[in-house]
Parts: sequence; structure tokens; C-alpha cells
Amino acid sequence: MISSLPPLAAAGPILVAATLLALGRHLPGRVPDVIAIVAALAVAALGALMAFRAGDGVLLHWFGGWSPREGMPIGIAFQADVAGSVMVALVGILFVASFVFAWGFFEEVGVQFHVLMLVFMAAMCGFCLTRDLFNLFVWFEVMSVAAFALTAYRLEASALEGALNFTVTNSLGSMMMLAGIGLLYARLGRLDMLALGEEAAKAAGDPVIPGAFCLLAAALLIKGATVPFHLWLADAHAVAPSPVSMVFSGGMVAMGVFGLARLTWTVFAPVEAVTEALHAVVLWLGAATSVLGGMLCLGQRHVKRMLAFSTISHTGILLMGVALLSADGLAGTLTYLVGHGLVKAALFALAGVLMARLGGIDEIGLRGRGREIWPARIAFAAGGLLLAGLPVGLMEEGATLLDAAAGAESFRWVILAVPIGAGLTGAAVLRAAGRIFLGWGKVDGEEEGAPSEQEAEKANRPLPLMLAPVAVLLLLASAVPGHLAEEAAQHAASAMMQPGIVPAPVSPGEVPERLPLGWMSLSLALLVAGWHLGRHHLPAILSNGVQALTAPVFAGLERLHSGVTGDELVWILAGLALLSLGLWLA
Amino acid sequence: MSRRARGILAAIAALALAPGALAVVRAMPPLGDHPLPYGDAVNRVAPAERAVSNMVTAVNFDLRGFDTLGEEVMLLAAVVGAVVVLRGARGEGVGDRPARCGSRPIPPRSDAVVLLCRMTAPLTLIYGLYVVLHAALTPGGGFQGGAIIGSGLVLVWLGEGYNAWRRMVPGVVLHALEGGGAGLYALAGFGAMLTGAAYLANMLPLGDWGSILSGGMIPVVNFGVGLAVSGAFGMLFLEFLEETREPEKGEEQ
Amino acid sequence: MSALPWSVALWLFAIGFYGMITSRHYVHLIGCLSVMQSGTYVLLLSAGFRWGAGPPVFADHPPGTPAVDPVVQALVLTDIVVGAAVTALLLALALQLHKRRGTLDPEELRPMRR
Repeated sequence: MISSLPPLAAAGPILVAATLLALGRHLPGRVPDVIAIVAALAVAALGALMAFRAGDGVLLHWFGGWSPREGMPIGIAFQADVAGSVMVALVGILFVASFVFAWGFFEEVGVQFHVLMLVFMAAMCGFCLTRDLFNLFVWFEVMSVAAFALTAYRLEASALEGALNFTVTNSLGSMMMLAGIGLLYARLGRLDMLALGEEAAKAAGDPVIPGAFCLLAAALLIKGATVPFHLWLADAHAVAPSPVSMVFSGGMVAMGVFGLARLTWTVFAPVEAVTEALHAVVLWLGAATSVLGGMLCLGQRHVKRMLAFSTISHTGILLMGVALLSADGLAGTLTYLVGHGLVKAALFALAGVLMARLGGIDEIGLRGRGREIWPARIAFAAGGLLLAGLPVGLMEEGATLLDAAAGAESFRWVILAVPIGAGLTGAAVLRAAGRIFLGWGKVDGEEEGAPSEQEAEKANRPLPLMLAPVAVLLLLASAVPGHLAEEAAQHAASAMMQPGIVPAPVSPGEVPERLPLGWMSLSLALLVAGWHLGRHHLPAILSNGVQALTAPVFAGLERLHSGVTGDELVWILAGLALLSLGLWLA
Repeated sequence: MSRRARGILAAIAALALAPGALAVVRAMPPLGDHPLPYGDAVNRVAPAERAVSNMVTAVNFDLRGFDTLGEEVMLLAAVVGAVVVLRGARGEGVGDRPARCGSRPIPPRSDAVVLLCRMTAPLTLIYGLYVVLHAALTPGGGFQGGAIIGSGLVLVWLGEGYNAWRRMVPGVVLHALEGGGAGLYALAGFGAMLTGAAYLANMLPLGDWGSILSGGMIPVVNFGVGLAVSGAFGMLFLEFLEETREPEKGEEQ
Repeated sequence: MSALPWSVALWLFAIGFYGMITSRHYVHLIGCLSVMQSGTYVLLLSAGFRWGAGPPVFADHPPGTPAVDPVVQALVLTDIVVGAAVTALLLALALQLHKRRGTLDPEELRPMRR
């Protein structure tokens, strides 16, 4: 149905940002903070309202009133379905949390941070709601530009280097996206995604369409930090200011996966070459991302970098749900995405608390120093347990749905990447919690290899103000009743898939037994974290033997993440080659 | 990775990509001889319904006007980002007064440069304004004209020197232009919604074919873009030129 | 001839990419990024071209005369603004980084690894 709600999510924050910029320093004191929080709250409420209304049918809005003429779409449409609206609500919640957490974060009172963040928020909302392919690119690019600037905000050398790598790799991504759009336009002559899907169905045998998919998918996988497109992420997310990292890891990365799901189901679903390749290649890329990200996460001692790698690992899980090409898989991805976004934002806020309160972010250097901030300990442990698959809340529900979807696979064990990734990342977070807050896990030669750069954030902010958003985020992620979430997610997934042609479900004969993914990953996490924290109590021969076996693997993985722009670009090319081989061989 | 290893990996990846890339190039439609349904629809609909003669402007500011709002905001984000990065240790406070050049010798400008700039700068600025205003009729528009106005500002700098330039072009005004222009665009969209129409829908009389005010809302949003782009480019020049001066005493660089 | 623009776009992509991975200076690398960007301009503009058609500006010929596709031209305009915006931001980052590290060799600028 036609609705005037969808444009508000993007245009509203833009108007606020422009006004803030124009009035600039004439605004007194904390007024920009308040305005930004109100704007983000409004977006969250709008997202919830649209999700509620979209249950009866998508909310459509043709900008400028340019509805299609004689079947030819000539304008731009926003189409809010349940999934897109929930994403808008998630983005709003993350930004509210981030703005509250950032209250008083920056010494000088200026509006630039708020302007950039509001533009960033508007871009994410536009990205989730648009139905036009080029408009999708515009919001993708606005999102990127705001993110580049926010990454460099602290202006330390590391932040600038991280931002440069981020900008170069992601700009390459947006060029690939534009090239993909150019190919589709040259072949199909449309930009509206639904119309493109209809035209693609008529031209299914044309090699230009898989070629375009290859470029578009590569661009979105760069944003979604999938192996081997992921090398930029750990640096960018680790060097950005904590309030910004919250939104990056909680929201921006998920946009890559969401965009891929959107494109797959609106444009490419009728093209068999594409769906087969997606299923064959991206599913395994997702599994590899989950496992490798988990291992890299475990190898870190810089807490924010550790959390960044855990984001990579969990994006792999999200991607698997998309590549499973079923309603359950997509529903699992959507549920897991929301749950992970909330939990990860809370964990990055806690990393910010460490930087503000303890003046450091090195897990080993801070050993035992977090004892006096016990509320943070509880929150940190809760975040770690949720990440590790504690069977409550949204992430658990998502994993269950993914497992159900994988049950229809010929090789269902691929789903084991989910507990491995979740378990390893959970183990890393629990290990950090044990070290920092309880003083466990003594390490010989603590000072060696410690990050040399001063890593402190502004300290004189009240602790309750910083912990309140954390508590709300964790509560939201864990307290939503599972069956409600499942119902909503399945509704959202089937609405999102509707435009495309749903492939006939592979009937597996009998439904295989569900795997207890949550318990599997939780026990893995506790085992690994316990090993790391209690290793020095074990016989030296056992402890050193395992160390000798695993150390080269971790060192090798770390060496691949050299931080050199050229390496990151070459791996992107390799990933593109992998996708294209998959498309031609599938 | 060593440079050598990187080269080898790149070569392998390029080889693996080659067959796919060649297949796509071969399967692309022949140049200039394939249907253009979207473009034809625009060429048919826009002159009749909007009374503008420049179709690119019609697409940019009306049919796909929402893209342009996004593009506008992206430019705004990039400029704010560049300002954040460049101001860095300079702090925000010093943004509005011309900086001293410290020990840097100021080479005298030759009379020829001054004369040339004093002649061409006003002409360039006026030409930029002309290009902005004639968006609906002839090639050009807010973006192109805004960029020309930005170049005119550089000519002013070249002719008058840094300090005089800073007095003529205050940073606050540039920020206000930039934010105000983007705000005008977003507001125009909301204005249409107040009447119950769609966002950015036309609510003004279309005007006569061939007049600069033809196209209803197009001249309004186009003017907003012109303002914002001039402000954005001016701000970029200001911040980059500020980099050329030496730091004052006690000022961290 | 009919595949020429697509080949040119591919070539610009490839040569720009080669320059980026072998670059020893960030300003050069940013230039290479712009070369790649030009590839997208060529691709988009060629996709909207039509033999024997005029410009999509009906100022001195009446509406209805054959014209090329105005949509891609508008898209390229957006693309150019993207390029300008990102280049400005990248140059600002590079400038500030040079002040802190004294070099702009990508091999020596590795975040969080020293």
C-alpha cells in the first residue's frame, strides 16, 4: 500500500544533520547531543511502526509521485517490508545507544560528530528501504563516506592508517558495485529492482547477468567482511572511537549481508546460474569466514581488535543463512543479525568503558585491573555468553532456524561452522573477561608485544551513563521471547523472498534431528576459555605441547593480516576470481 | 606478503577472472544499437509533464531527485570529514580568522597574475551562477555551476592572497551555505509531503517552456544544490589552503 | 567496434588496479583509484549511447527528436561527485598521515602493527 512513512527514515535525519551544520556553533552546550538522541529515537520508533504496518503488506512510496508509466518504472521507490523496517528499527536503537554512550565523549563541543553520525544513520535506513538499484548504491556510498570520516575521527596515526585502508578497499568495492549496475542497466534497461528481476527472468541465459552479480556480490561482501574480502575490517573497527565502533560492528557490517539477501531475492532469484553459484561458493565462504574469524579472534589481545574479528566470524554465520536459499535460512539470518548487532554493540561499548576507566585496551596489560568496575564485569561476561550461544534470546533462535535450514542440505554438517565460530569468539570474550575483571590467566612476559600506542578515551564520564545503553542492548538481545521472534522472522523472510521465485524446497524425506548448536558452542567456548585462563596450572609438557602445535597456525594467520593496502586489494581480487570461477563452473 | 608473492597471487587471480570477463565483454549489447527503454520513457514523459528542455536535469532533480539528495549529503559528509581530518590539531577555534603565515616568506604576486585574476575571477563567478540558473534549459545545473563557483573562489585567492581571501570568504558562511543548501533540498521534499503528496513531489506551477523558472520545483532544489556545492568546494579549498601556512608558535601541528 | 567501450572500461579497471597494488605512494594510489573510476564513467555513458541520436537537451531541437539516454548521464554526474568527494577525503587523510609518519609508502603504513 502507498504510505508516506518510509521516506521519513532517510530524509528526517538528513534534515536534522543539515540544520545542525548550518547553525553550527550557535547551538549552546549539549543541545546537539539531545537533538541527535531524539532523532535516533524517532527513527527507532518509525522502524517499529513500519514493521508493524508492513505485516499487512509492504509500504510503498514513489518519490516525487513518479509511479510507473505504462509498466515502466521511471522514478525511485522506497518499499518497506517487515525485514527492512526491522533493520531500520535496529539501526535506530544502535544509534540511540551510541549517542547516549558518546555523551560528553568529545572534549570540544562541536556538531561535526553529530552531523556525520546522523548522515550515517540516514544512509543505513535508505539502504534498507530502497527498491531502486542505483539508489541503493547512493546510500551505500553515503554510508561509506560517513564511515571513513568517523573512523579517522581520533586523528591518531593508527586511526588515519586504518581509515585509509578502509577508504581505499571500500571505494574499490563501490566501483565494483557501480560497474555491476552499469552491466545490468546496459542489458536490462531498468533500475527498479523488481523490474530488473522480471527482466532478468527473461534473459536468464545471458552471461552479463552473472557477471553483474559477481561484481555486486563482491562489493557487498567487502562491506560484509567475508573471507577473503575482510582484511580491512579489523583495523578500521579497532581504531574507530568506541561509540562509532558500536554502530560499525552492530549495523554497518550486517548491511552487506542484508544487501546481498535483498539483491538475491529481488533481482537474481530467477537466474539459476547465480543461485547455484551462491549456494555453492558463498555458503562455503561464509563457513570459512566463521571459522577463520573465530581463530583470529582468539589470537588477539587488543580487545577492540578481538571484537572486530568476532564480528567477521559472526558475519560468516549470517552469510550462510542467505546462501542456504531457503525461508528458514533467511529467517535465521535476520534473527541472528538483530541479536548479534545488539550484543556486539554492547561489547564495543564495554571496550570503550575499559578505555575510559582503565586507560587501556590490552587484555594482558589490564589483567586484574577491572576488579573495581564490577557492573562492567557482569555485562562483559553476559555478552560473552550470549556470543557463545547461551540458549536464550535472538541469537539462539537464529542459530536454531539456520540449523533447520541446513537440515535440507545434502551436506548438513556445514552448519557446524556456526558453533565453531560462535564458540571461539565467545571463548575469546570470556577469556578477556576472566583476565581483566578477575585477574585469572597469568601470562609470562606480560609486557612483550603489548600495543605501544596510547589507547585511552575520555575518562570523566559517569559510569552509569556508559553502562545504561549496554544493559538495554543486552536485555533486548536476550529477553525477546523466542517463538515471537521466530514467527516474525519467518513472516519477514517469506515477504522478502516473495518478489523472486522461491525455489522448490528440497524435500529431505524425513526431518533430521536438530543439533544442539547452542550447547555445542557454549561448551566449546567454556573449554577454550578455561584452557587459556587455567593453562599455567596444568603440567608444563601438556601446556607447552599444545602451544607449540597451535602457535604457528595463529602466527601464520596473523601474518596474512599484514595491514598493507596492496595485500588487502589483492585478496579482494582473489575473492572476485573465486566468485567468478564459481559462476562459470556452477 | 612480499611484493613478489602479491604479484603472483594477483596474476593467478587475473588469469582466473579472464574467461569470465571476456565472456561478459562479448555478450554485452553492441554499442549504440540496443533498446534504451528507461531513457526513451524519460525523453517522452519529462518535456510533456515538466516543461523543461534539459532531460538530465529533469532526471537529476525531479524523476530521480531523491538520488540527488543522497549525493548532496554524501558531498556534505565528505567535506565535514575532510574538515575534521585537516583541522586536527589546529582545533575548531581558529577556523574563522585568517592565519598568519609565520616565518613563511610571502612572495610578491606579479602584476600580471593580479590583473588576470581580477578580470577572470568575477567572470568565472558570474558564469558559475549562469550555469546554476540555466539548469532547466541547457547543459549544466547546480553541481556543475557550484564547481565553477568553487574554481572562481580559487582565482580570488590567487589574485588577492591568502589573508584577503579569508576575509572575503568566511568559513562560517561556507558551512551555512553547505548545510543550508542541503537543508533546503530536504525541506522542499517535506514541503510537498505537507500537502499530502509524495516526498519531493512538484507543487509549484510549471512555468513556460524555455524560461529559467520552468520545471516547477526543479529551480528550487537546483538552487539548493548550487548553494551547497559552492559551499562544499569553498570549504575544501579553505581547509587545504590552510595547510600551506606554517604553524604558529605554541601550536601543535 | 561494438565491444570497444566495454573493453576500454575493463582495461581502465585492470590498469588502475595494477597501479594500486604496486603503488609506493598513497597519492599515486589515489590517482590510480580515479583511473578505475573512469572505467565506470566509460561503461555507463556507453550503455546509454545510440548511433545518430542527439543530446537529451531539447533546447534547439523539439522534443521527440531521437536522443541518447539521459538517465546514464545523470548517473555519471552522481558518480563524478562520488569520485570528487572520496578523493578529497583520501587526500586529507594522506596529508594528515604524512605529518605524523613522515612517509606515504603503503608498505610502511600498517595500522596497529608496531
